[in-house]
Amino acid sequence: MIWKKIKVGFHKLGSPPVFYRVCQVVAPWLWAGAAVCAAFGLYKALFVVPPDYQQSDSFRILYVHVPAAWQAMAGYLVMSILAIIALVWRIRTTEIMAMMGAPIGAAFTTICLATGSIWGRPMWGTWWAWDARLTSMLVLLFVYLGIMGLYAAFEDKRKGARVACILILVGLVNIPIIHFSVEWWTTLHQGSTISFFGESSMDASMMPPLWWMVIATKLMFGAALLDRSRNELVEQDRRKGWVRQKMEATA
Amino acid sequence: MIPEFEYAPYVWTSYGIFAMIVAWQIVQPILKRKRLRAELQEELALAQGEYSDDPNA
Repeated sequence: MIWKKIKVGFHKLGSPPVFYRVCQVVAPWLWAGAAVCAAFGLYKALFVVPPDYQQSDSFRILYVHVPAAWQAMAGYLVMSILAIIALVWRIRTTEIMAMMGAPIGAAFTTICLATGSIWGRPMWGTWWAWDARLTSMLVLLFVYLGIMGLYAAFEDKRKGARVACILILVGLVNIPIIHFSVEWWTTLHQGSTISFFGESSMDASMMPPLWWMVIATKLMFGAALLDRSRNELVEQDRRKGWVRQKMEATA
Repeated sequence: MIPEFEYAPYVWTSYGIFAMIVAWQIVQPILKRKRLRAELQEELALAQGEYSDDPNA
């Protein structure tokens, strides 16, 4: 019974007017949740947590760098799942969501690379090193930009989305490379200090702001994805009746 | 009350970049929505014969 309800709900999301309405209602709540979590996280990161005994206050960059890096990779995984659904079931709203994830993922990757570079300067003595973690993250940025470019290159948006979905799945190989790069190769970038299942080497007092910021970035990604998808849907369906009706209603 | 950090320029620049890029993720869809709405309402007015390019009309 519940499974059937989920299935019907999932199929209803394929309807553009329903999808538009869901995005319109859910996105502001996600932004609000992100703002609350970010406010907690930033307050704790900047005012509560003590300086690190080795890196002093520069370690505070971690609270924007790590959540952005994790979201850049998690966003790609979300896009990959959407791409599979789009390729198998040909659901247009899913295609749109897969495509709209790319600029947001690129934004988080840019935050990760920029803040990592700024953190690296005082700690490593260099802005950049061609080590495996940094380079694979840069490749992720190029993959995101490639997906955006490929989608934009097609006049037929559905064809463009299908080709870009294949590129998303090809680029998926880079995600485990990023994750395991610090284990597979000798890198300037440190190894993992935060473990989900084992004991983290970071002190427990430094963890709460990190989790607040991780939740905040997840909600930001979701909200931005729904906002962008809603716009893209209206742009694609601008000649269709349901968009006209909405415009007439708001005129 | 802004805390005084060691390595302050590095810390604040990083948080500034984060804030600017996140702000753009909020602002960009709003701007695009406004542009789309204006375009669609212009098209609608044109289709209904109510369009006027006279700014004083």
